[in-house]
Amino acid sequence: MKILLVDDEQKFAMMLAKRLALRNIDVDYVYTGEEALQKAQNNRYDVALLDVKMPGIGGIELKGKLKETHPDIKIVFLTGHGSKKDFEAGISEGAEYLSKPLQIEELLELLQRLKP
Amino acid sequence: MSYGILSKLKLAWTELDNDQKEQLGPYLTFTDYREIWAMGIFLLGATALLPLLIVTIIHYQLIQTSVNSEFILRTERLTSNTRRVVTFFLDERLDALRFTVNEIPYNDLTASDRLSEILSNLKLGFGGLTDLSVIDHKGTQLAYAGPFKLKGKDYSRQPWFIANQKKDSYVSPIFKGYRNVPHIIIAVKSVRSDGTWFILRATLEIKKLMQTLSSYKTGRYADLFLIDRSGVLQTPSEFYGDIYQKLPLETPKYSSRTQAVMTTDAQERHIIMGYAFISAKTTDTPFVLIVVKQKDGMMGVWRRMQANIKWFVGFCILTVIIVITIACTNIVNRLYHADKAKAETMALMEQSCQLAAIGQLSAGVAHEINNPLALISQTAGYIKDLFVIKEQYRNDEELIENIDSIMEAVDRCGRITSQLLGFSRKFDIKTQNVNLKETIFDVLVFHQKEAQYRNLNLSVDVPEDIPDIETDQGKLQQILMNLVNNAFQAIDDGCSLDIHATREGSDFVNIVISDNGCGMPEENLDKIFEPFFTTKARGEGTGLGLPITYGLVKKLNGSISVKSKENEGTTFIVTLPVRIQKEKDGNENSIGG
Repeated sequence: MKILLVDDEQKFAMMLAKRLALRNIDVDYVYTGEEALQKAQNNRYDVALLDVKMPGIGGIELKGKLKETHPDIKIVFLTGHGSKKDFEAGISEGAEYLSKPLQIEELLELLQRLKP
Repeated sequence: MSYGILSKLKLAWTELDNDQKEQLGPYLTFTDYREIWAMGIFLLGATALLPLLIVTIIHYQLIQTSVNSEFILRTERLTSNTRRVVTFFLDERLDALRFTVNEIPYNDLTASDRLSEILSNLKLGFGGLTDLSVIDHKGTQLAYAGPFKLKGKDYSRQPWFIANQKKDSYVSPIFKGYRNVPHIIIAVKSVRSDGTWFILRATLEIKKLMQTLSSYKTGRYADLFLIDRSGVLQTPSEFYGDIYQKLPLETPKYSSRTQAVMTTDAQERHIIMGYAFISAKTTDTPFVLIVVKQKDGMMGVWRRMQANIKWFVGFCILTVIIVITIACTNIVNRLYHADKAKAETMALMEQSCQLAAIGQLSAGVAHEINNPLALISQTAGYIKDLFVIKEQYRNDEELIENIDSIMEAVDRCGRITSQLLGFSRKFDIKTQNVNLKETIFDVLVFHQKEAQYRNLNLSVDVPEDIPDIETDQGKLQQILMNLVNNAFQAIDDGCSLDIHATREGSDFVNIVISDNGCGMPEENLDKIFEPFFTTKARGEGTGLGLPITYGLVKKLNGSISVKSKENEGTTFIVTLPVRIQKEKDGNENSIGG
């Protein structure tokens, strides 16, 4: 299972990636939507963990673009903005939602569920 | 008494206490209900009463004029009638003498016996004759019939004789003569066939004339008497003295017709004076008939009418004022209640808008704090992972680095919460010196992330010469927050928002907030400060943001204006006084002191 993590909060992205790596999960992390699209051109990912609000290409736009090239990719939104509106926007398009600060167990459980 | 009526009328706006005035003042459409009320009563009263007063005055003058001319006419008529009687009295006696000289032979007339017989006949026919005498052209009395022995008396130097020489008939003024009894001499001249002439003279007692005059006197306020042409009384006057006294009124100028004039006598009484110069058929007489009527005495009816008019007009004025006062009070009370209800709703909306602002603040804070918390959580989790999973922690640089990372995230949370505390504390403070630049940045903190995400271009320019302004910082923040929120909703991603400040003279500062968003059609510009006006989709906008902003600006004694062009952008200009205190002194109620 290969995961792409995108969050403009750089240290957060790095920490989460390291924690997942410790659990033997193959994860690539980038800080912007543009970098994510570049990564996705050369790699195949099962799950994308996306921050919703990012400068430049935001999480929702990125989701649409990733789905174009990777129709099977599962999307999980991570956001510090506990807004119902964002949550609904994510769910309605068949995406999952986790709010920050998140528990690693929660994420692992979700990833387990999304495992192909 | 007026206080009693006012208290019964209940002026609703006076019930507002100072707290309510402070709270509702900025939202009330009218500030001075007492002025509206008083102005309403004055204008309605003037409109209703002015025509009434004008018509009454015109009518009053009309009646007065007609009453005056009626008095003059009546006096003239009385004078004219009395003149006829006096003239007839004299003519009748002159005609009798003329008849006597024409019909009785000269020799008979000069015979005393015969003359006494004629005198008895004349007394029988007319009465009031004292004596009768015949005087030749030299002035010598040839014959005399009467109670005195005057035969042979020489009259050649008497004024009446001299006057009679030139005329056919003569009427003397009243004089007392030898007997000290007032009488009139009447005489006729007759020319004989030999060319010489003689005079037949009679003495008349004036008692009969006076009786005739007094029979024409009407009422207590009228006087009727004769004067000679020099103004000396010839018969006694009730008002102006006895016979031979000078009449204390201006002697009328000669007129052949009967006249009546209004004048004032020596006692300052208003009188109507009628006069007529008496002329017999064959000669002028020295008499002027005077009729005096005292105006006050004749005015009784007119005075009663005047009093009735005054009562009627007074009653009308009182009724109109009472009705108008009640109506005005009622209308202004209703206006006030409607305005108050509107102001209460607006005040309530301001409160709910404050709550909404706090809600938005909380959401912003949650987002800002959640990011560092997520970092703390992951970093701490990673450290735990290092302990649990990797079992290699001694002298581990990565561990130290991660603990630093935790500390840094905690610091970040601390900064956010202290900014938040600073922001909320400012809500409690009333008037203080406020740095405009800092306040604008304080507000924008909560919008910066969104601006970043939406790629919005925010620029703030507050020049150094903009002074600190003395105002309510919390309310200013709320105003800026509302306007910035508004702009954020109006602009698309990638657009720009510019906030800058300029000085407006020495006493005011302009805060200009302009965006290059969708703008507004011109027809909406007039309505945007009206409550519940919104162009947003149903459920998205309350239509209260701008009316509340407007109320807040007013509360700070400022003004707000807007310019907008569709698809080009919108500019709001908030003008605030540098020193709110100056305004406050003059307008304590609207600020609430």
